[in-house]
Amino acid sequence: MEASARLFQRDLMGKLSKRFPTGFLGLDPFPGTFGRIRFDPAIALELFREIRDVHAFEHLAMVAGIDWVERREVLYTVWSDVHRGYLLLSAMLPAERPHIETATTVWPSANWHERETWELVDITFDHHPDLRNLLLPTGYQFHPLLRSFKLHEPEELEVKVRHV
Amino acid sequence: MSEMWINMGPQHPMTHGLWNLRVRIDGELVLEVDPEMGYLHRGIEKISEDRHYNEVITLMDRTCYVAGMAWENLFILGAEQALHVEPPERAKWIRTLSEEFQRIGSHVMWYAAFVQDIGLMAPFLYGMRDRDLVLDLFQSYTGARMTYEYNRVGGVRNDLPPGFIDRARKVCDWLLDRFQEYDDLCLGSDIFRKRCDGLGVLKAADCVRAGITGPMLRSAGVKRDVRKDRPYNAYDQVEFDVAVADGADVTARYLVRMEELRQSVRIIRQCLDWLERNPGPAMAENLPRWMGAPYAPVGKEGYLLKRNYPKGVGLSAIEEPHGEALAYVVNEGGEHPYRVKLKSPIFTNLSAAKHYLVGYRVADIPPIMGSVDVCVGEVDR
Amino acid sequence: MSTVTLYSVANGLIVAILTGLYSVLPHAYFGWLVNPDLILVLSVLVFGAILLAASMINTIMLIWYERKLLGRFMDRRGAMHVGYAGLLQNFADGIKLFRKNTYKPRDADGLGFYAAPTAYMVTSVMIFAILPASWGWTAGPLPLSLLLALVVFSFAPLFIFLSAWSQANKYSLIGGMRSAAQMIAYEVPILLAVVAVVIVSGTFDLTTIVTMQTNYWFGIPLFVALIVFVTGMLAEMERIPFDLPEAEAELVEGWNTEYGGMLFAFFMLSDYLRALIGSFLVVLLFLGGWTMPGWVPSSLTALPLAALFWFLLKTYIVFGVFVWVRASLPRVRTDQLLRIGWMRMVPLSLLAIVLAALLVLAKCLPVLGCLPGVGG
Repeated sequence: MEASARLFQRDLMGKLSKRFPTGFLGLDPFPGTFGRIRFDPAIALELFREIRDVHAFEHLAMVAGIDWVERREVLYTVWSDVHRGYLLLSAMLPAERPHIETATTVWPSANWHERETWELVDITFDHHPDLRNLLLPTGYQFHPLLRSFKLHEPEELEVKVRHV
Repeated sequence: MSEMWINMGPQHPMTHGLWNLRVRIDGELVLEVDPEMGYLHRGIEKISEDRHYNEVITLMDRTCYVAGMAWENLFILGAEQALHVEPPERAKWIRTLSEEFQRIGSHVMWYAAFVQDIGLMAPFLYGMRDRDLVLDLFQSYTGARMTYEYNRVGGVRNDLPPGFIDRARKVCDWLLDRFQEYDDLCLGSDIFRKRCDGLGVLKAADCVRAGITGPMLRSAGVKRDVRKDRPYNAYDQVEFDVAVADGADVTARYLVRMEELRQSVRIIRQCLDWLERNPGPAMAENLPRWMGAPYAPVGKEGYLLKRNYPKGVGLSAIEEPHGEALAYVVNEGGEHPYRVKLKSPIFTNLSAAKHYLVGYRVADIPPIMGSVDVCVGEVDR
Repeated sequence: MSTVTLYSVANGLIVAILTGLYSVLPHAYFGWLVNPDLILVLSVLVFGAILLAASMINTIMLIWYERKLLGRFMDRRGAMHVGYAGLLQNFADGIKLFRKNTYKPRDADGLGFYAAPTAYMVTSVMIFAILPASWGWTAGPLPLSLLLALVVFSFAPLFIFLSAWSQANKYSLIGGMRSAAQMIAYEVPILLAVVAVVIVSGTFDLTTIVTMQTNYWFGIPLFVALIVFVTGMLAEMERIPFDLPEAEAELVEGWNTEYGGMLFAFFMLSDYLRALIGSFLVVLLFLGGWTMPGWVPSSLTALPLAALFWFLLKTYIVFGVFVWVRASLPRVRTDQLLRIGWMRMVPLSLLAIVLAALLVLAKCLPVLGCLPGVGG
């Protein structure tokens, strides 16, 4: 299993770097999966199509947004019934007006995931069919999962620190 | 009568939680649906960023209140991967056992709510009665009935109490008999078959496209189960079959869940055998003191313990009672996880609501939504 | 024939009170007390009061009976805490509902909102004056009592729809429409099943129908009609499996969603009153009413209220069957319900009529030979 996974990983890396000479930024190992693909948001849609149609990752399991303060990461987790494993697709977006092409045209299940990411992490998904608030009230102005959104004031945490 | 919108929720017997299904109907025919979520959004992912890993477990119990143990397992797998901790073998088996008990608890609860939705009164109470046995077992080794706080980074809080295994075996025997009774009450009833056959059909290709997982997907004949495809805990060492059906309708979902209940009993029996034969520690040895402590000593005696964590990131996937659940835990070396992302199976199952609700009647909505098994806690998080 | 009738009880009570008053008070002022007209008016009032109280207490006991029975079916014990075995639980519930504020949603239509539950309740109670519960245990000789009872019984959809419409609530409206459709659809097989009974008995008078069943029950030769009638009654009573007008899973509480307090209690009580009436009718028409079988010792049958007790016993057993059905069957869907009603129940009831007619024609049947009034 481990060897075949590594083989598949190398194969995937070769194919993708040939297909996307500029946008494909690499495939990092990630424990328990086929790895994490880093890609440029400019090629998002073609990459999604390629991943789904050519490499048979037909199930989009999760879309996650992560705020790295100076950048935002959007992370797609896809599953393949053929290869029986997860693959992560990660794109780094600028913190100023982060936006990426929607995946709903490729994986319809991305719909709610992207709505949630949009309202919680403030990442805009271009051409999304229905980008409304999902979990938060309509018109809510904050994005709670940004690091700048504090749950309480810092002075409440003032306690003595002991090293262990 | 002209078309009209009705709000099924947020306070409505069909919802089994707090959400709003907006339905456009013409007479009794459903033309359009629009689920509105967020009534139970507690910001669990955000609060997790402010807590120690062992404290996040408290939140995981509340994520899905009928499957707390499964969510604990999910998070703890991701956290252990992010923190580079390996639990002992016995803890893995206890987690497997707990998760299967949780699956029984959740599925039996689903059965009770589902039959109530189609008007069967007595089996509702039967379901609640049998779930109580499972909750009693949980109480005997975790101390709580619904919010367990039992898993810890590096293992489980305490080992099984003496006499537990015999008790659990008795409960298993009793439950198998009751599952037969459930089937007699539902499948043996013509009205049940009339109500549920061919209802809420979502074929395999549509299911995969819509991202549907869990019993709903397997009811369409797709044999995908995280426990088999990507084994975690001790699932690679137990024998069980993945329950599938081909109807893709409400009856098929019922059949899949009933078969899963039986398979859960099968797994539990294997777990009990293994646990009886292999005593050992239930918590990883030589962990840093703070990591394996029964409680996190944050703020104790006015001190905040400064820890040096290795950086890491973890992705865990489990087959929760409702489907495939994912947790993505980012550890940046601080006191708390940098980011916790949870993916609930019901979240995607609900987002496809229009595919399995439109075209049926108002009276069909409760059985169809019942067969989806909505738990709003984990959708809104 | 037993001499104790409900009216004679009321009459005797009034006469005793008035005579007592007359004997202690001076004749000059209270001579008008023992006036036959006054006695008649007061007797009728007391008769009505007794009937109302009896039907209400019976209904409340019926609810208790259903709760206990349902509890047993569900592997629990039902109400246990107020009174012995929870006997007073429903009285406590009733007092609670009495004390509640009744309120009206802003957009609801006032007249319909208040008038509908009242009218529903009144028409339901009215039937108790028509149905005989024992010898003379009725308002008086009514040659068409069966017809009258069924007519009053079928007022219900009107009031339900009135209340549903006036509530200005979409769930109520859907429930009201379902209810109207269902009740009208099931009225037909019920009436046809009753026609079968009428063909065999040759009368609309319930007392005569019961008298004819002294030797055997109509339910035995008219088995098909009995089945149709019981099924139709389940639908008329809006009980599971035909309780879709108030299917709480999808319609919250159906056509009485917006009601609270005493107005809700009116609907709730009327539902059980109608359940009681349905069980009454089943017993009267098919299960021999208050006639007791021959093996009951005459020392028991001679007791003053033995016939009434026997009748109530049968009624409760019939209602127990309804509860049993409720505990074990799921709910059908509207279209399925209507299809069952029009495509299954109506042909079956027509079949029942044909069977009844054949039975009457073939008067040589030994079982019919002993039936007075059949075939001349």
